[in-house]
Amino acid sequence: MTYMTTKEVLLKNLENLDKMPSIPVVVAPLLRYLEQPVDQLDVQKVVSLLAQDKSLPAQSLHMANSPLFGHWQTIDSLKGAVVSLGFQRLRDIVISCSVLRLMPLGESKINPVVFWEHSLGCALVCRHFAREIAFPHPEKAYLGGLLHDLGILVNLWILPQEFGRAVDHAQAKQVPLFEVEREMFGITHCETGRMLAERWGLTPDLIEAVSYHHDAASAKTHRSLVALVALSDLLCRMADLGHGYQELCQVSFQEEPAFEVLLEECPALTAFDWARFTFELEGYLDEVHQLVRQLYGTA
Amino acid sequence: MTTTPINSAPPALNVAHPDPFLIKIRDLIYQVAGIFQPDNKLRFLDDRCQRRMRELGATSFREYYECLTVKPIRQPEMVALLNEITIGETCFFRNQPQLDALRRVVLPKILEAKGVLPIRKLRIWSAGCSTGEEPYTLSMMLLEEASELMKGWTFEILATDLNERSLIHCNKGIYGDYSTRNLTPYYRQKYFQPVENQLQVTNQLKSCVSFSRLNLFDNARMAFMKSMDIIFCCNVLIYFDVLSKRHVIQHYYNNLLSHGYLFLGHSESLYGVCDDFRLVHLPSTTAYTKGERKTGSK
Repeated sequence: MTYMTTKEVLLKNLENLDKMPSIPVVVAPLLRYLEQPVDQLDVQKVVSLLAQDKSLPAQSLHMANSPLFGHWQTIDSLKGAVVSLGFQRLRDIVISCSVLRLMPLGESKINPVVFWEHSLGCALVCRHFAREIAFPHPEKAYLGGLLHDLGILVNLWILPQEFGRAVDHAQAKQVPLFEVEREMFGITHCETGRMLAERWGLTPDLIEAVSYHHDAASAKTHRSLVALVALSDLLCRMADLGHGYQELCQVSFQEEPAFEVLLEECPALTAFDWARFTFELEGYLDEVHQLVRQLYGTA
Repeated sequence: MTTTPINSAPPALNVAHPDPFLIKIRDLIYQVAGIFQPDNKLRFLDDRCQRRMRELGATSFREYYECLTVKPIRQPEMVALLNEITIGETCFFRNQPQLDALRRVVLPKILEAKGVLPIRKLRIWSAGCSTGEEPYTLSMMLLEEASELMKGWTFEILATDLNERSLIHCNKGIYGDYSTRNLTPYYRQKYFQPVENQLQVTNQLKSCVSFSRLNLFDNARMAFMKSMDIIFCCNVLIYFDVLSKRHVIQHYYNNLLSHGYLFLGHSESLYGVCDDFRLVHLPSTTAYTKGERKTGSK
């Protein structure tokens, strides 16, 4: 198959994004309810909405009990989980679990656990990074990190065989997946992710994070969020929290285009201690692996 | 400050909600020594602090933090704690991600950069080699690459330490179970011979490493360690104050070739010590390369 025909087939298939499963039924009303001012929210109402889903209650409990989400005592009730996590974190968790449930069932070139680990790990790194450099919206950074690879899910649904070959090739060569996608299809998971993100009506900043996380310098409006996601994604991949294989390369973060972009808006980055940040990530990798396995077990 | 009896044990560690003074001790160690204990090592740090606390009769991390910061014993106590943290670290193939990155990313880059020169020889310096496990490991790794990556190349490994007794150990090359715990049967058989209940490195392996005594503050001798491609300096700088670190790092900078790499110990950093070296991320590890020297930098 030639380069152009592959791209054409891909673009044609993308018109059928409706084939992709949608977010779980309970999620839309739950997220709508959580959009109300916090002082008007009723914990019991949130608990009852959450309880309608088959996996979200168990997953929320796992997350509420993880040090990654700052727990300080054992939580064994859904109500306790909601109170302990807070509404904002609960919203992030509901989105996390719902999106990650979109992974196709059965044989797949991307191991669902590995995909979850990368997405959740990147979300946590983004949030931590945002706090370290006084980025004003750490929770937005979390969502950007979580959703940045939406396009991989799209590719798995729309072009499973061709995408599978791209994953095999990237693994064999130990190079970044997006480079192989670009070479084989002329399009990457950034573009396919953008189409899904727009269809879902995600906010413009998240759409940019999905679209430009491998080319932060091209981001238009929400450049610092995009750059933050790009750097966090790269850091995760260098720490072997990528797509199931280690990329063989050398990276100097201070020379990354995304670093330049982020520096424009976050002057605190000038004195950023990349070494310590990297060692800290190592400290919670085990917890990410463990938590994702628990979550996957309840999906 | 009152001291309580030695046998009143400090409370057990709650990993999810660690004692804030344990975190302060973690940060102090990083600030003073440049070595970081991530969250998954807090239990280890807790254990090592408690060993020292029993010695001193300190009953809380708060009290021990004061021993490390305001009491007259603070400097020797920091050294004692660092000894506890790094003790038993030495073994063959200790830091596998570092070795993998060296073999798969760094060596090809260096060989490419150096390939244009007429002399095909690598120079590696293990600075602060302790009892020799590190230089012997590097040597085994390079010998294993003799017919592939290192084909047509030779190498020399210079291993230095201040401690005479360590150097005697290096030259004997006899190691017990603890040091050899990561050695696969393949390496045991190929590069070691049994001596009573221990293993001794073969003469072939010994001939690849030159051991010598060197004080890193001996400017005259340091100036002779020129033209290095790679310097390993693991868990050595952590014992120096900032000025001493800068002094030694300056020598490393001068002694490394432009394409050279400096490797430090696991979770060890040059942050706040030297701006000339540039941190680079390699697969699951980090190293330092020579960046562009900034005007007026220390």
